[in-house]
Amino acid sequence: MPKKILTYLFITQILFTGCIDGEEFDNSCNGNFEALWQLIDERYCFFAQAQEEFGLDWNAVHDKYKPMADTCRDELILFDILGDMLKELRDGHVNLTSMFGTSYYWDWHLQHPMNFSDSIQRNYLGTNFRQTNGIKYTTFPDSIGYAYVESFSNNFSINNLTLMLYNLRECKALILDIRNNGGGMITSAEKLASSFINEEIHYGYMQHKTGKGHNDFSAPEPLYLEPSEGARWLRPVVVLTNRSVYSAANHFVMIMRELPNVAIIGDSTGGGSALPLNSTLPNGWRVRLSACPTLDLKHQHTEFGIAPDIKVDITSEDWEKGRDTIIERAKTLIFDYYNKKEEQ
Amino acid sequence: MRKALLIAITLALLATPAMSRVRHIVTDTIIPERIVVKSSLFGITLLNNLDTYLSNYNHKGLGINFSHENFRDARTGNYRWKYQTLFNATLGYATLGNNIQYTALISQSWSGYHPFKVAKGLTLLAGAQIQFEGGALYNPANGNNPAAAKLRTALAATGMVIYHFPVLRSEWIARYQVDIPLAGVMFAPEFGQSYYEIFGLGHAKGIISFTHPGNNPSWRHTLSLDIPMRIKRHSTTLRISYTADIYQSRINSIDCHIYRHTFALGFARTIFKIKRENRMNNHSPY
Repeated sequence: MPKKILTYLFITQILFTGCIDGEEFDNSCNGNFEALWQLIDERYCFFAQAQEEFGLDWNAVHDKYKPMADTCRDELILFDILGDMLKELRDGHVNLTSMFGTSYYWDWHLQHPMNFSDSIQRNYLGTNFRQTNGIKYTTFPDSIGYAYVESFSNNFSINNLTLMLYNLRECKALILDIRNNGGGMITSAEKLASSFINEEIHYGYMQHKTGKGHNDFSAPEPLYLEPSEGARWLRPVVVLTNRSVYSAANHFVMIMRELPNVAIIGDSTGGGSALPLNSTLPNGWRVRLSACPTLDLKHQHTEFGIAPDIKVDITSEDWEKGRDTIIERAKTLIFDYYNKKEEQ
Repeated sequence: MRKALLIAITLALLATPAMSRVRHIVTDTIIPERIVVKSSLFGITLLNNLDTYLSNYNHKGLGINFSHENFRDARTGNYRWKYQTLFNATLGYATLGNNIQYTALISQSWSGYHPFKVAKGLTLLAGAQIQFEGGALYNPANGNNPAAAKLRTALAATGMVIYHFPVLRSEWIARYQVDIPLAGVMFAPEFGQSYYEIFGLGHAKGIISFTHPGNNPSWRHTLSLDIPMRIKRHSTTLRISYTADIYQSRINSIDCHIYRHTFALGFARTIFKIKRENRMNNHSPY
């Protein structure tokens, strides 16, 4: 009996216990190149959209950069080769980080008008603005509230947002300026958005990869947002955007555009609609890549940006005069809204 | 006469506890002894971690380990069974290039064994084990996927070989134990699923997977040597042990291995659960 038991244990172990080991790429220029290409091939989530938008062929990218990696003998040069390969994805969420620095793809906003100047913004914010956890806000003379949310990297508390909305309580409308907001935490974006709803809303979907194939995705799961437990702002809101609105800020716009009494004006957002995840190469360099895409209510990706309701650029005349065309247009929109309301 | 009767009753009352003690001693000699061996060991662990949810490459490093074992005769089955409870905790630090990965794992197992005496001094034990393990691998540099949580329970087959052998007029004990999980369940996110989806949004469908040796080929070997110390009539031994804890899984295209090789040192103490007089009849549950 004991012999049988021991024999069974031994056989079970021999039969079923193969080694589960990591990838077999070596820590050479070519090994790191192949490791990066394969990592993106298996985990990146926007191949179909990139192919449709600008004809990306990831296999062709491999063939283009492989000869460079084969002849590379220097880590600095390898970093540039790999960084350039990642730029072929045209995705601001895809980066390579090493001891030399981080590779970025910037064209998603650098090839577009800035549509924001902090010098011009000073003419509107003045010197008496308040600030709560990174959000600067003030009241314009015509009873319009103005809040500038520079980043979603700060973890807003309900108290922060309640205090801000309490201080703006006399305003008839709010201009919520998120231009140049490059993102941060989705949870912060959702917390801010939850201050503008009074009941739970369904605003989109999220999915993730279920396998290594380019089209292996889970079924889209609905995204809901519950109203804030603090103060809620139910008066008109105008959200100002430009091409530098990215990632969590793009997510914020995706929510806000589903709300009544909210208008988006300015330029298209920069996109970055997927939750990025991280991994590493054999040499320890870190890779960030888009992994879990979000979809809007029409099941459309917003990876390449969200168009505003009203497209406005800062004109060169206004730029010279220190006027922010987009803020001025937002004010006009609010006045028009109340004038129409009075007429009715 | 009345006086004599009072004296007799008083003596009888005084004698009752003593008589009951005598009966108790008699009873004790009938019940087999119940002996518990408790050991606590501290060790150094060589770590080799892979979790493709965090990184496709091995992180290697060092850790510290604590284990506590309780091995005893079972009251059930006329003391023919042995029970073992084993607690283990590992804290570690592994690297790949400039990347750091922290490891924190605790495990607890409950085992029941049937012993088979095969030769003088040599006993084989076979039984079943319930395993529980929890913890995480943590890569602080990974933004939205900094950690891979480990939570699993399994029913395992377990076996032991115990060998008593004399060295310099004392009895040393060598022991080998192997545990192989056969069936269980574990927390396993899908290939590219973020923890934000699972815990932030509640999209938690399918995060528990059934495990078997095909997708979770793991095992744990422990080799230990107990060296008696001249303390308290051999009831304390110095224990030296080596444990190879090989945890592996391949679920939802996520490969994981946590290889822990632990060299530990500690003490094992034999505790007798009966009266002092019977300690002379000294034996171990081994």
